[in-house]
Amino acid sequence: MTGSWLVEVFFWAFAATAVISAYLVFRVDSMVRAAFWLLASFLAVGAILVLLEARFLGLVLLLMMAGEMTIMAVFMVMFMMNPAGLNPMTMVHQHRTAVVAGVASFLALASVGLFVRFPDRPVPAEGTAQATADLGGELLGDSMLIFETAGVSLLAAMVGAIALASRNGRFGDAYVSSRPPDLDDVTAASPADGPAAEADEAAMDGGGMDHAGMDHG
Amino acid sequence: MTVHAVSPAAAVAEVGTALVAGVYVIAVLDGAVSARVAGRSRPGTALLVMPARRAARLLLQARTTTERPDAAAWAVATVALGALAAGGLMVVPLSARGAVAEVADGIVLFGAAMALVMVAVFLHGWSPNSVFPMIGGYRFAAQALSYEMPLALVLIAVALPAQSLSVTAIVESQHGLWNVVRQPLGLPLYLIAATGVAFWGPLAIPDSADLGGGTAAESSSSELLAWRVARAAVLVTVSAMGAAAFLGGWWGPLLPGPVWVALKTTALLAIIVVAGHTLARVRLESFVVVAWVAFIPLALVDVFVSGILALR
Repeated sequence: MTGSWLVEVFFWAFAATAVISAYLVFRVDSMVRAAFWLLASFLAVGAILVLLEARFLGLVLLLMMAGEMTIMAVFMVMFMMNPAGLNPMTMVHQHRTAVVAGVASFLALASVGLFVRFPDRPVPAEGTAQATADLGGELLGDSMLIFETAGVSLLAAMVGAIALASRNGRFGDAYVSSRPPDLDDVTAASPADGPAAEADEAAMDGGGMDHAGMDHG
Repeated sequence: MTVHAVSPAAAVAEVGTALVAGVYVIAVLDGAVSARVAGRSRPGTALLVMPARRAARLLLQARTTTERPDAAAWAVATVALGALAAGGLMVVPLSARGAVAEVADGIVLFGAAMALVMVAVFLHGWSPNSVFPMIGGYRFAAQALSYEMPLALVLIAVALPAQSLSVTAIVESQHGLWNVVRQPLGLPLYLIAATGVAFWGPLAIPDSADLGGGTAAESSSSELLAWRVARAAVLVTVSAMGAAAFLGGWWGPLLPGPVWVALKTTALLAIIVVAGHTLARVRLESFVVVAWVAFIPLALVDVFVSGILALR
């Protein structure tokens, strides 16, 4: 399949989708939209893996990300106390730190991409089953300790997150300190302004939805 | 992904025909079972034109909308649900010639498509910016996370005797002995999960009547029709996969392969549609508990036993 011009076209289409939807993660005004734009980015990356004949990895990426992004959206909404994630809220905070961290990680990743000599060992089209078998050997062989450690850490994080977010969690009954969302700012804006304008407005007003302003009591 | 011996146009025609025919069969069966359960007798012709009448009635409805919906996400949710049904059906062999997309990891592609159904239904509930649909969307997240593991595990179990993730190879491995006999736990667990994926009947929890229609509560007219058709298409896809994975796909005496596939798929469809009119809707909390406490361990037993038998 490699070498065909159609593959080139698909590669660039998926690559552009991955980059643009990743950018949109930071431009939208809702956690659910951000989570699903991130999912769109991962889906494009999964499609690129399929184009690279790493079909199993690509498809498993799609399989995993579908659930993970939904769980992430639900968790973010639970922690932000923004009912259902429907109210516009700014998604970007701590601008200076974020810019420095973003530029630094871009430079680091770009230098890896430019200076590392990647192995050139394409998987033959008929050998994908062997590649999947090698992957299984790696996961349950040499790298088992790493993956098991990461797995148990993630499980502990999930249990902790549920303990924090549940109704009878770390901070007591969730209803005690919650207050109704400040919807006035949102409904005052005319619908013709569009979501982006309202998001800016909500951000300027503080919108009542900025999580930094939340008092857990 | 290699497409075997079929042109793209023929592939689209094959999957499209199967989905349209399947959705029509579901609509007719649903009407027939509904009339039968209610004790009304309906002439056959009335039952056959009923789906068209219901569709026409929906299309003539006024289109309503909500206050500040996410219109793009709303539309994407419906289109995605239909596309995922088509994508999942693509890897299921509808005849001995093989599937439209003969993917070596076909069962993984099917699993990925069915996992993304969760995103489509959640978005459909979230985007109208309305309470009942949103609750429906959240319900489906919990429901999907509960059936996802049993679904994946029983499909892994059928891949073990075939020693392949290709659905065609899985059907071929059932020549002589179908998986429904070889892995008795598989089909019942799969049917429960499949009912959950299509959120049909007893597991129509996200779109249930107690939520005024759930994620579809704010849908109307052509949008509601499209959503119902997409949901039925998902039911067709999961039934076709069930027929391929557990009932031996095209294998069968006398009749040609595609007829067997159609018959077996219709049989599984009928079980779920009849369950929708005879079983009570399950409470989500009970379903989540039973899924995690009983279905996942049973599915693990299925995988372990199938694995031991495959290794012998």
